[in-house]
Amino acid sequence: MPILCLGLNHRTAPVTVRERFALPEGELPVLLETLRAETAASGVVILSTCNRVELYVTTDAEPQPLLNELRSFLLKNREVGGDADEIFYEHSGQSAVQHLFKVASGLDSMVLGETEILGQLKAAYQLALDHKVTDARLNKAFQKAFNVAKQIRTETNIQRGSVSVANVAVELAGKIFDELNDRAVMVIGAGDTSEKTARALLSRGARSVIVSNRSFDRAEALASELGGKAVDFDHWESEFAAIDIIISSTSAPHYVIDRKKLEPLQAGRQHRPLLLVDIAVPRDIEPEVNFLEDVYLYNIDDLQAIADDYLRLRQEEIAKCESIVEGKTRELLESLGGPPKSRRQDPTFPSAGEAPATQN
Amino acid sequence: MFSAPVSWTDKTYFCCAVTLYGIVMVYSVFLWRKGFQRDDWVVYGMLAGGWVLHTVAMVKRGFNLEACPITNLYEATAFIMWTIVAGYLVVGVWQRFRFVGAFASPLLFLLGVFALFPDMDPELAPGSHEFSGALSSLHKALLLLSFGGFGLSAVGAVMFLTQEKDLKLHKFRAILSKLPSLERLEVAMTRLVWIAFGLLTAGLVTSSAYLHQVKNVWFQPDPEMLWVIGVWIFYLVLLMLQKRHAQSGRRFAWGTLGSFLFVMLTFWGVYLLSPLHQPPAS
Repeated sequence: MPILCLGLNHRTAPVTVRERFALPEGELPVLLETLRAETAASGVVILSTCNRVELYVTTDAEPQPLLNELRSFLLKNREVGGDADEIFYEHSGQSAVQHLFKVASGLDSMVLGETEILGQLKAAYQLALDHKVTDARLNKAFQKAFNVAKQIRTETNIQRGSVSVANVAVELAGKIFDELNDRAVMVIGAGDTSEKTARALLSRGARSVIVSNRSFDRAEALASELGGKAVDFDHWESEFAAIDIIISSTSAPHYVIDRKKLEPLQAGRQHRPLLLVDIAVPRDIEPEVNFLEDVYLYNIDDLQAIADDYLRLRQEEIAKCESIVEGKTRELLESLGGPPKSRRQDPTFPSAGEAPATQN
Repeated sequence: MFSAPVSWTDKTYFCCAVTLYGIVMVYSVFLWRKGFQRDDWVVYGMLAGGWVLHTVAMVKRGFNLEACPITNLYEATAFIMWTIVAGYLVVGVWQRFRFVGAFASPLLFLLGVFALFPDMDPELAPGSHEFSGALSSLHKALLLLSFGGFGLSAVGAVMFLTQEKDLKLHKFRAILSKLPSLERLEVAMTRLVWIAFGLLTAGLVTSSAYLHQVKNVWFQPDPEMLWVIGVWIFYLVLLMLQKRHAQSGRRFAWGTLGSFLFVMLTFWGVYLLSPLHQPPAS
């Protein structure tokens, strides 16, 4: 009774295709029961996220006909506009279990090592469990997948650090300030990344946000969204004494903050540290200000370099994670009866960084 | 089962402790190269082991002398080291401060090697405990404890300066390391200096009281006494500037580190120059 997986993800299908296959959350219970009733599947779990749609099934029948049925199920009433074989991948037995473990651990995610997928996988499994469309084998495989994800999280660095600019800025703040709870943040220029960064800081407990933008209406709108206040763009300095973190992302062609302007303002701050995050291009803050005492300036390239370093660190951990996945896959298959083929004997076993061998 | 040979003297235990501090120092180089990324109990465990041996050495010496073991430069240095390790074992319980040990180990090892120089521990002549008594031991202990406190704050200063430089230069290890935030390091440094300053003040007061007890004067222009007063004034100025926010964390860190280096580099010379503190050698 093999475990099978059929699906598509961000690697095999662009967003224009993925959006056509996205399964509405409200329809999932019906789809689960339909799959169970109309195919040879004895257990079913459907995972549908913005980056992947995957069907995990168990069966007593021959795998390939069921995989064909699953493919037809997904293609029903949907136009692919090209070769459908190129967007779907199939996994069977050991390869399917291994794929499930990798998905749970974030090893197959667009952002390597991200943890959101584990929550989505748990929710997908819980839904199937609630509708009694899983069987013992699928239950065991999913429980094991959650354990593997936990083990990988605790024993490796795959989830260490932030790989987004906004979260890197938050981490930097944590290295300078004792706590973010009573910190005031100023956003100069209400851009998308500055908004994300401000939100990330607020989610970590920052006290207040002050928004300053050339368009005062836009400043007010963002301030209202963030629960802060808006100040006039030409008078942002009036709020400076209380500020701990400045995020700047205006489209000004010149420096908005330079050393000449900052030096006297900094004198009134009683040597409290100041984190400046410049995510504008061209830059808003003169690089010279980093030479001032108690001032820490990071521009978009500095933040991106840290995010890239984190990603590199995660990539270095892939081999360690794959080794855990391999061992746990064998363990599961042995506990389910029928020892798995050794890696050498099984040509479908993908190695680190390879695409799944049975991908169609 | 292992049992210590009967011939193990206090010096043997002290040598073992210094060896452990040396091993921690070498291990710390690897930690530093790895960017202090993972929580590490090895440093804490080894320094705790060293501290136990160190304590045994001091207790044995104390029993042999039948007095607090701070009668010469070897014992004074050992006492300062003991204070630094004891302080670390307390703050190291908090995960964020566990790497203080890695920064402290080079200082401990150097002080240990220095203390083991042959001339540092001369044999005492009969009658050399002429001034012995509660106040005698107390004033020495308080002063040496304060130097240990200043030593620990200097270690905090090194951590602050390392972290600050890495953040200024946008080094990845600044964000990757498990060192405390700059603000927390500054607070820890300041509190340690205040505690050590309190001990130094108490040490000065008891010194004066002791002098009055044995010589009926409150003050004598002895080089060491003048030096301690100078150090007290220096730290007072440093703390006042910090309290009035008149200097940045970086300057305070440099001040803390520089002051302790000054204390360590001049203490020995002043001690040897002080007629009050020189017992007759055999």
